[in-house]
Amino acid sequence: MRLILTDLPSDKRYHFYPLALCRPIWDLRCGMTSLSDKLIAKTQASDIACFVPPYMAEVYGATSTWPVNDATALAGDDLLVVNARVKASDFSVEPTGPSQIAVDADGECLYARIAKEDLARLNTDSIDALLESAKATLSAAEGEVAVWNYTWDLVLANPGQLTEDFAALGQSGVEGTVEEPKALRGSENEVFVARGALVHPMVVIDAAEGPVYIDEDAEIHPFTRIEGPAYIGKKSILLGAKCREGNSIGPVCRVGGEVEESIIQGYSNKYHDGFLGHAYVGEWVNLGALTTNSDLKNDYSSVEVVLDGRRPIDTGSTKVGSLIGDHTKTSIGTLLNTGAYVGAMVAVTTTGSLLPKYLPSFGWFIKGVVTKGFGKGKLYETAKTAMGRRKLEWTPAMEEMWNEIHKITAPERSEAVKKGRRALAAT
Amino acid sequence: MATIEERVVAVTARVLKLETSEIKPEHIFTTDLGAESVQSVELVAMFEEEFGIEMDEDAALSVENVGDAIKFITEVCQAQGVEA
Repeated sequence: MRLILTDLPSDKRYHFYPLALCRPIWDLRCGMTSLSDKLIAKTQASDIACFVPPYMAEVYGATSTWPVNDATALAGDDLLVVNARVKASDFSVEPTGPSQIAVDADGECLYARIAKEDLARLNTDSIDALLESAKATLSAAEGEVAVWNYTWDLVLANPGQLTEDFAALGQSGVEGTVEEPKALRGSENEVFVARGALVHPMVVIDAAEGPVYIDEDAEIHPFTRIEGPAYIGKKSILLGAKCREGNSIGPVCRVGGEVEESIIQGYSNKYHDGFLGHAYVGEWVNLGALTTNSDLKNDYSSVEVVLDGRRPIDTGSTKVGSLIGDHTKTSIGTLLNTGAYVGAMVAVTTTGSLLPKYLPSFGWFIKGVVTKGFGKGKLYETAKTAMGRRKLEWTPAMEEMWNEIHKITAPERSEAVKKGRRALAAT
Repeated sequence: MATIEERVVAVTARVLKLETSEIKPEHIFTTDLGAESVQSVELVAMFEEEFGIEMDEDAALSVENVGDAIKFITEVCQAQGVEA
């Protein structure tokens, strides 16, 4: 059986923006691992191929170990095609069996199990053609398929998923170094310090309410307190952080201040004081000192998030923080509103006031309004510098992908810039 | 109706908090008129608002003096069919 992961252009992709602007949805994290890790573990697949929006195929293909957007992967074996939004924990379909397809109310394929012998009567020229012919030919699967609908679903599920993932991995103990004096609350069985990880003296690991996993080569500086459930990624550094429960911090991050029930994808810095709660932060983000997000409204009503610059979406939750896209930088003292959407490649120079709830990708927030700022060229220069500091390269393919994202996000940015100009002119 | 030159000077004076009489075509926005980087961005935004045009930010920010700004904006207005 070959697992085919799909994240095809659809009306729902923007539900995972700004994080999914530059990566497939299955690369998003929940708990200790990504959504694809969970789908692969669930289906026990070893032969995997994937289909992503064409504009990100080259960049994704440069690091993926799977064939990307390669239609030849659609022949020669039984296929289990699974949409990136499918929840692995609730996915109980046998990997092989009679061919069948499940679609959502909008006709989007959630999964298709296609027996090798049925492939001959389907169109395998492309993934779109395959799914269209499968919808027309195969029998409909019975039962509901649980899916992730929005990015904040991942944030809200994170604490529970951390606990499940820790139990599934079945590791505990100290393979790295924990220097004395140490302070451990709860059971030692609920803590794992991986090889190469270094926990300095005077660190509190509180596993009383959930497990704590400190991954390889992570470093935890003195006076940090980590409440479980928590995952600290490879080579990440916590700098006297007040790490409340429910955090997933990806690899190579620098995190200080107070962080609660948040996901940081990786390679991002929140070095200084300031509160980050119920947030999802992309890669190569830098949150300036005292950057703080609200994750709870004063009236305790459910939080609304604007994903397209226009229509607020009720999250149904009273606790939702910020969604912050890749390569975004905030200045010192940035105050992010409850349920704020801060796009990718945004430069925030704050005025000390609460920011608007929606900042479009590639926007420069200057003097209290969204402007064109210094353009995308300057943002690319900064991205190149930031990546170079971690010995990674900003490639021509990345620039091409981001140019496409610049185009995709142009309508909402243009509207915000016009609004900003009018506001500036009125002052 | 004010000319493009007069309107460019008026916007510059307003953003940089100067008298219009202090602004000459040969003046460089940064060194002669004291524009800080953030004010350069504001100037571009205000020129766009004043003339109802869209300027490429890289091209607009590469303009150094008032005379070149007048020339650049005149060209953009013509290219975008904006009567100025």
